[in-house]
Amino acid sequence: MLDVGRHPNINLLAYSEVETVKGQAGDFKITVRKKARFVEENKCTGCGLCSEKCPTIVSDAFNEDLGTRRAVYAYFAQGIPSTRTIDPDHCRQLNGKKCGICAKVCQAEAINFDQKDQILELEVGAVILAGGYDVFDPSQIPEYRYREIPNVVTAMEFERLLSASGPTGGHTDRPSDLAMKAGIEPLEKKIKKSLRGLEKFEKQYNRTSKEFYTQYTSGDIEKDDDQNKWANQYEEHLSLLEALDALKEKVKTFGPAKRLAFIQCVGSRDFRFYPFCSGYCCMHSIKEAIIANEHEPETASTIFGMDIRAVGKGFEEYKIRGGNTSGITYVRGRVAEITEGSGHNPIVTYEDTRERTVKSEDFDMVILATACAPTKGIADLAKILGIALDDYGFVKTDFLSPVDTTMPGIFVCGCAGSPMDVPESVAQASSAAERAAEIAFQSDVEKETAIA
Amino acid sequence: MIKDVLVIGGGIAGIQASLDLADMGIKVHLVEKLPSIGGKMAQLDKTFPTNDCAI
Repeated sequence: MLDVGRHPNINLLAYSEVETVKGQAGDFKITVRKKARFVEENKCTGCGLCSEKCPTIVSDAFNEDLGTRRAVYAYFAQGIPSTRTIDPDHCRQLNGKKCGICAKVCQAEAINFDQKDQILELEVGAVILAGGYDVFDPSQIPEYRYREIPNVVTAMEFERLLSASGPTGGHTDRPSDLAMKAGIEPLEKKIKKSLRGLEKFEKQYNRTSKEFYTQYTSGDIEKDDDQNKWANQYEEHLSLLEALDALKEKVKTFGPAKRLAFIQCVGSRDFRFYPFCSGYCCMHSIKEAIIANEHEPETASTIFGMDIRAVGKGFEEYKIRGGNTSGITYVRGRVAEITEGSGHNPIVTYEDTRERTVKSEDFDMVILATACAPTKGIADLAKILGIALDDYGFVKTDFLSPVDTTMPGIFVCGCAGSPMDVPESVAQASSAAERAAEIAFQSDVEKETAIA
Repeated sequence: MIKDVLVIGGGIAGIQASLDLADMGIKVHLVEKLPSIGGKMAQLDKTFPTNDCAI
């Protein structure tokens, strides 16, 4: 990533989108919209002071909405370019409210609220489309109750929980526990506010609320409006304190998820959604189970699948190693339903096809190995590029020329063409680069031939 | 004159294609929709089958 930012031959246009493409192989004219970041890229040093001071908290898409970021943000810590970006949907200043704190704290004077989108014109010989994929949205499968049961997560969400730079610092904390923990802060704020209200009365009558309340309940004092109000507020305050204690007590019992269920083929090999095999999900689940076990050695995982497809160099050995040393049990069977049991534990109902019995088992967390779905923007992009898509929405290619699209001079690589894992994406990218280079150099050869 | 190449998408595939082309001496314009390149792979903690860090 860093190499891309530094390479003298690469013009990196992040936060940009292709708008129009005209011409043919060897001679394309492209217009690109470089969206306004409201931060001057050449001035920003990436110090992050603006993000620290920004008062607007926004859900963090990079962390699969499990964490938060600010309205002025870096997409992720090591992101290239390291420039910050202001999110125009959430920034107070850009939505007509008074703020501008980021501009005040920025020592490089990089914040520019008047920045406009730029339209760039490029002339290129070839185009490579590496548009990637989207994670299949499992809420379309009603029986898995994703989003209804908090501890049913996607493989990508679990990946963020496992990551040391993720929202939990690499601990496999359960989303239900995280939600409960997040409830402490607003409660504490509420208590502080009610304390301020009580202090007013305490000052006015020169005694503590506790003393007053004892007198009030014993009927020693006359009860006027003020006294009733004070007593009510004190009662409310006590109940808030009690709720906070109970919550804190409960949070103390929370620990990392140690009994994990991985469900394979969520959205793929399923005729309701995508009939194809996404290819990487089996290995992805095994990897996540191995890493979870590395983080917390008592972790035991069960992987439910029709079969485990470990096709690739070193993959089968990895699968066996996971079973032998990382507490993974492989169960052959498709999960019929997930329900919620006590303590927010998901209960998995499945048929063990080897034992020919239907079973139910309770887990701390369920991870859904979601399918590789075509990315949302691909249909529009295909129209702009004038290329065809296949029945699922991936870029149409031929078996014997897997990186050629239906338009000469436009090539595809990675998951934009079909589901694949990282090594395959890298191999295909090199292949597409070579095909594009043929065209880029061809124009040179043609010229030389003409001169000769 | 050698022509430029446009690469759309700054995930692992787009990054690899851009670096290969750039190393061949071809000028590359790499367009990414999001504020940073890296794509889905940057969201991964480790990669199989070596458990290497993804970033």
